[in-house]
Amino acid sequence: MKIALREVTKRFASTTAVDRVSLDIGDGELFTLLGPSGCGKTTLLRLLAGFVAVDDGEIRFGNRRVDGLPPHARNIGMVFQNYALWPHMTVRGNVTYGLRLRKLSAAEIGRRMAAGLARVNLTGLEDRYPGQLSGGQQQRVALARALVLNPDILLLDEPLSNLDAKIRVQVRGEIRALQRDLAITTIYVTHDQEEALSLSDRVAVMREGRVQQVATPKTLYERPANRFVADFVGTNNFIPGVVKEHADDYALVETPLGRICARRGDRAAGAACVLAVRPENVTLNGGGENRVEGRIRLAAYLGSTLRYDVETAAGLVLKVDVGDSWQHELLPAGHGVHVTFPASATLVLAED
Amino acid sequence: MTDAVVAASPGRRISASALPALGVALIWAFLAIFLVYPLLRVFYDAFSDDTGRLTLQNFVAFAADGFYQRSLWNSLVLGFGTVAATSVLGFAIALLLVRCDFPGRNLFGYLTLIPIVSPPLVGVLGFTFIMGKAGTVNVLLEDWFGLAQPINFVYGLHGVLLVETFHLFPMITLNVVDALGRIDPSLEEAAASVGARGWRRLSTITLPLTTPGYVAGALLVFIWTFSDFATPLVLGVHDLLASQAYLNIVQFVDRRLFRMGLVISALMVALAIVFLVAARRYVAIKDYSSLSYSRVPRRRLRPLAAAGALTFLSGVMLLSFVPYLGVALASVGKGWSMTPFPLHYTSLFFERVIVETPKYIVNSFLYSALAVVLCIVIGVPIAWILARTRLPGRDMLDGVNTLILAVPGTAIGIAYIRAFHVELPWLMTPLTSLWIILPIVLAVRRLPYTVRGSYASLLVVHRSMEEAAASVGARGLRSFGDVTLPLIWRGVLVGSLFSFVTSLQEASAVLFLSLGGWETIPVGIFSFYIAGSANEAAALGVILIAVAVASVLAINRIAGTRMGGMFG
Repeated sequence: MKIALREVTKRFASTTAVDRVSLDIGDGELFTLLGPSGCGKTTLLRLLAGFVAVDDGEIRFGNRRVDGLPPHARNIGMVFQNYALWPHMTVRGNVTYGLRLRKLSAAEIGRRMAAGLARVNLTGLEDRYPGQLSGGQQQRVALARALVLNPDILLLDEPLSNLDAKIRVQVRGEIRALQRDLAITTIYVTHDQEEALSLSDRVAVMREGRVQQVATPKTLYERPANRFVADFVGTNNFIPGVVKEHADDYALVETPLGRICARRGDRAAGAACVLAVRPENVTLNGGGENRVEGRIRLAAYLGSTLRYDVETAAGLVLKVDVGDSWQHELLPAGHGVHVTFPASATLVLAED
Repeated sequence: MTDAVVAASPGRRISASALPALGVALIWAFLAIFLVYPLLRVFYDAFSDDTGRLTLQNFVAFAADGFYQRSLWNSLVLGFGTVAATSVLGFAIALLLVRCDFPGRNLFGYLTLIPIVSPPLVGVLGFTFIMGKAGTVNVLLEDWFGLAQPINFVYGLHGVLLVETFHLFPMITLNVVDALGRIDPSLEEAAASVGARGWRRLSTITLPLTTPGYVAGALLVFIWTFSDFATPLVLGVHDLLASQAYLNIVQFVDRRLFRMGLVISALMVALAIVFLVAARRYVAIKDYSSLSYSRVPRRRLRPLAAAGALTFLSGVMLLSFVPYLGVALASVGKGWSMTPFPLHYTSLFFERVIVETPKYIVNSFLYSALAVVLCIVIGVPIAWILARTRLPGRDMLDGVNTLILAVPGTAIGIAYIRAFHVELPWLMTPLTSLWIILPIVLAVRRLPYTVRGSYASLLVVHRSMEEAAASVGARGLRSFGDVTLPLIWRGVLVGSLFSFVTSLQEASAVLFLSLGGWETIPVGIFSFYIAGSANEAAALGVILIAVAVASVLAINRIAGTRMGGMFG
């Protein structure tokens, strides 16, 4: 089922929680809404579910216009952040509640419940109460409850945020596999950029009610549309500057660190801009078009990598990752170095 | 340096660790002497004959007596009937207050609280003035419609049901309001997303989630109604167990009747304990409360629905406030018979009960104040033990504290008469002849409110706050005084204030124990009314109401409106 949003707006008192959002989500796509808390992603999900009404704009599921319809008329399945399992009902009671409301035959209810629980590996726990289940199990019951009604669209509101880090990665994989199997259009809300990158087909990054960029995880990481996205997704070094001139695919930018050659962006010559370069693309005492002198200020050992904070002459601090930390001798603070980075990994972005 | 100081004063170390143990021992001793022993004594007497031999013959005699059979049946009907009636009213009002928005909602939120802290004895008096056979309503009906025979609104079992319902429904409302506030909105949204709407969602999701709070409220309503004798006696209903217990005990002549009073008292306690244990089992396996930061938004009612809600609430409130109108009029009215309202007004009755015989007011405040001091001295340490320690016997302490809420005042009063009617050594007089027994019985009866108020606020003070104080050098009592006390005094105060108001209003236990010169306001009301001086009774009632209203306002100022936790 395709989803189309046109200029969807929701205001609460003085704030605009969702501001003229237009999106097209493909059939069977796992689409993630990513952003910091308060960016409007949960409100947008609740607009899709029908728990809050749109102020302006329209929402279509397939060809059917659904804004204005109550939640139960939209044929959605929703998994809540805290799972919202009814504590006075067993697993069976929770999963079959919606089926019983639809007055299906007992045999049909039993069949669909068994299939639903088998799908999330919970067979045998039918008579437990939610309070007797682990967090991961509760999560799966919530998923089963949403899926037994064969919804057109699955809505997931930060479904992993209440789980331990290890289980989170495991359940993340299970959700992705299940979603692929069912080929169900899924909207996934999270503030965790790693989660968003790892399981989405496409991601919309939101800020203050507005969509900043819609892209595949790879594009989002490697070609962020603006400084906010570059900052929120992964880690970046930012260097302010002014575009001097363009040559072929490259731009020359005047910065406090001197002239820096970067990948050509959409900023015109003479315009103020900010350069973004990721720590993993910066090398110590290596090669690359751009070269800056500096001094080690801090070293943080992160296991798989080693991160240096290097203070440059202009006072700007650049983060530098050393990938092969096993081969690398730790440099002491105050040690003089030069850092280099290639023009191809340096992006020219608009200053917000 | 520190080591040297500690080593140099080994004596202090021992006393410092012995002091808490001594305190715990004293608390247990108090509860053992003034709660456990009297109740056990009643049970012993109920199961033994005049020579002290254990026997079941008292219960056989009770069961064989047709009058007692009818009384038991009536008491059960009344108890369950009141629970049903208060549940309907209580749920309807709670849902309106929590889930809907309409003009005057806040005002009704406040008004709902008043009946529960208002003196029950005053309520029944007021009903007789307005709705009695010669009351305002009947006189008006006769004048306007030529009614030949007055309508009997209140005299009889139905009257008791009416009075108890309008007095007790806030117990349900408060508990349900509290429970509704704890339901995470996403539980209802989840139901909406799978297609449950309206009444279906209310009955399968919302209402079941309120059961833990509701059961606690319903239990108190039942026990209260089952053991209340003052209301039925004022309304002329004698064939109830509680009425029989009172009449059998206070006659003091016939030993067989006296023992029947003890048997009924034992039955009441046993029933209360059975229900309490059942309710606690039920609630313990069903803790639905969630740490919900958001609330279900209130639904704005359409004008027609809002008008309906207002009419319903106004009707309920009108009936709940009928007694106050009646008592207020009777306290200043002269020559009020066969007229809808008094003909003359006077301050004579107030002068009588305030200036001429000030003992009612003086005694009430003296005994209640002493009782509250006892409540704080014993209750705050109990709350601390419950909230902060894993002492052996902690669960039992919790159980005893809850048991007090369930044990009827009638039974406690009877138990005290039986247990403390023996001469004390040295004093050569029984405790029942010393007025100090009244503050003691009040303290025992009202202890749970102080404990609960303190316990609730202790739970909010996270242990790490005390540990933080300890980490910067504040020891034991110092960290309690500097960190804990400033954070919990509000809860202690609210609990104590509640203990105080309810002590002032205590009728049942005190009516058994009060001797000449010890009369409190409720005792005064009861004896004035029974003796035919209804106006003096009404004047005392007005004073009691004024104190109750002032206290509710104070409690609300201090604690906000969420008092539900006090009754669970």
